Amino acid sequence: MKIEVLFPEVCCLYAELQNVEYLRRSAEGKIEVINTDLKSEPYFARHDDVAMIYMGTTTEAGQELAVKALTPYKDRIAELIRNGQLFLITGNAIEIFGEYILLEDGSKIPCLGLFPTYAERHMMHRYNSLWIGQFKDIDVVGYKSLFGLSFFIDEDKRTSVFAKPSGLFTAERGDGINKTTKEEGYRLNNFMATYLIGPLFILNPLLTKKALEFMGLPEARPLFEKESMESFELRCKEYRDPTIGFTYG
Amino acid sequence: MGKFKFYTALWMAKLSILALRITKHNGTNFPGKLAVKICPDFLSRIGKPELIICVTGTNGKTTCSNMICDAFAAQGKKVIGNRYGSNLEEGICSCLLEGAGLSGKSKASIAVIELDERSAPRVFPHVKPDYIVITNLFRDSIMRNAHPDYIAWILTQNIPSSSKLIVNADDLISSRVAPGNERVCCGIEKLPTDVIECENLINDMRICPKCGSKLVYDYRRYHHIGKAHCPDCDFKSFDYDYSGHDIDFENMTVQITDKEGTGTYHIPNDSIFNIYNAVMVAALFRELGTPVSELVAMMQKIEVPKSRFSREKIGTMSVTQQLAKEMNALAVTRATDYVRTLPGHKRLFLLISCYTDKRDWSENTCWMYDCDFEMMNDPLIDMCVCTGPRALDFKLRLLYAGVPEEKIHCDIDERRAAREFELRSGDDVYIFCGIDAFDLVDDCKNIIRERCRKIEGIGDGK
Repeated sequence: MKIEVLFPEVCCLYAELQNVEYLRRSAEGKIEVINTDLKSEPYFARHDDVAMIYMGTTTEAGQELAVKALTPYKDRIAELIRNGQLFLITGNAIEIFGEYILLEDGSKIPCLGLFPTYAERHMMHRYNSLWIGQFKDIDVVGYKSLFGLSFFIDEDKRTSVFAKPSGLFTAERGDGINKTTKEEGYRLNNFMATYLIGPLFILNPLLTKKALEFMGLPEARPLFEKESMESFELRCKEYRDPTIGFTYG
Repeated sequence: MGKFKFYTALWMAKLSILALRITKHNGTNFPGKLAVKICPDFLSRIGKPELIICVTGTNGKTTCSNMICDAFAAQGKKVIGNRYGSNLEEGICSCLLEGAGLSGKSKASIAVIELDERSAPRVFPHVKPDYIVITNLFRDSIMRNAHPDYIAWILTQNIPSSSKLIVNADDLISSRVAPGNERVCCGIEKLPTDVIECENLINDMRICPKCGSKLVYDYRRYHHIGKAHCPDCDFKSFDYDYSGHDIDFENMTVQITDKEGTGTYHIPNDSIFNIYNAVMVAALFRELGTPVSELVAMMQKIEVPKSRFSREKIGTMSVTQQLAKEMNALAVTRATDYVRTLPGHKRLFLLISCYTDKRDWSENTCWMYDCDFEMMNDPLIDMCVCTGPRALDFKLRLLYAGVPEEKIHCDIDERRAAREFELRSGDDVYIFCGIDAFDLVDDCKNIIRERCRKIEGIGDGK
């Protein structure tokens, strides 16, 4: 099966490419990774045999390049979402699928407009947080380190293709998609997007198992599962310790 | 009111310096902190020396600014600097305070200031350096520094237009900051060990910043360091004004050619990143008008600070302290790359959890998967000792990098790990340590040194 990684030359911050690499290595040769660069036509544009489309955190300039590169395929992406294609979008790549990014000077960067969100970017006020919460019945841990937070646009004001989706994760400690909600990221059918950054699957063996099952690989085990679980359990314990601070800086 | 506040701040801070000296608490930022607290615009009001040199960049700031201070000392010139303080606003205030008299005017003629890149917006409006050395820009703390483009943007927004820049032309990110400023470009010509394709996980200069095409590297040293051009537009690396070449590792020299000729200069350390530091220091002094012959003699006297690298030989064994800054994937990768190429079998003692974070939160470990721990999977590295609060994460990372489990010793307790990891006669131990736990590093180093002495039969009662 195939995983398509969008724009690894710019969407490569915080080791997020390791998310796909970890799945690939866990699946022991059953996953082929297709890397699509900014100047190439995405594989998904003409094919329906992609198990997962992945895009991770990028620079602010990278966000604009990604919007430009994906805009010609907006209708195809919407079609894939309707058809239940699995997408995993992490970090500030989530903002690319919203309506726009609002800058400090009041100007807006138009985005794909698939979902009714906008992001507020504050370049001198970085938002740093540890995060623990749940995906369905399993614990998820992670980090946020962002210049932007997203907000939903009211139904009567949205211009997006899709209406407001549901949350992807529920925060136990830490915020959701912005500081006023515990709903972290969003999900529509199998389009899943989260602000959590970093090598999410390596940090979360339980989530990795779910992802492998979801991709039709129920027999695959997370690579170094025992060590990953030990590290995960310690992290869960730390993050639930009320003496551990949760936001930084 | 402003003047009153300033003089109150100045004299109170001066008094605090005296008090700290009496109580043997030199090198703290307290005087600067106090001054800023009393007079928030203290930095703009305090007198400045005639010549101000600033050193900034991700890695090599401390080493480079210390080398510059050493070189001035070799010229018999007295400089003030924040060598023993912080590189934030308060540390710079403390440094300028030291150099100022009771009237607030500067008595010093030269300041060498190491500046944290994120502090540029708070410092540069008030301090206008004549020269700014920018060592490099790489990924650093994810929480503070985000990514190198962000830091380049901050520097570009804040560097005074009057400052002349000394940049590393082999770094296509840092060499392009503040495009309107006058600059001189340094670099090291192609080396036999250079490659074309990136062999590192971090590679932050893959596309042309002008047209977005994939950059072509003529040669690459590591990460994005090298010489590159765009195949589709006129974008390319800067040409060198100061070109390092013919590195002689045996005699520890590098030749540097500028428009007036070539000099053969001493290098204080054989790691390539310290040779870059040496080339940049030489370029700075050439720009200041130092003749080659004089500079060659000055460079003989510069050293790499011991907190960065120090080695002790104990019989057939050795214990080396190697700086590998915590939460900095690049610094740990460069340290590993350097150590793995040294001769002999090694044991790495990893003391690189972030101890500052341990106090009140939990470290963001993303950096571990940006760092090339794969380099520790080396036939000459016999053991990796994972310690500290993130020991389990290090163990998982090493396994992921292909290091066999039998080569990994994992113990959260650092001192116990130092006492218990397997050590044999002939071993070379490398302690990788950050900059936020020197007491712990000293304790572990002493434990390991004692064990080495015992094994080698050196010392009392042996």
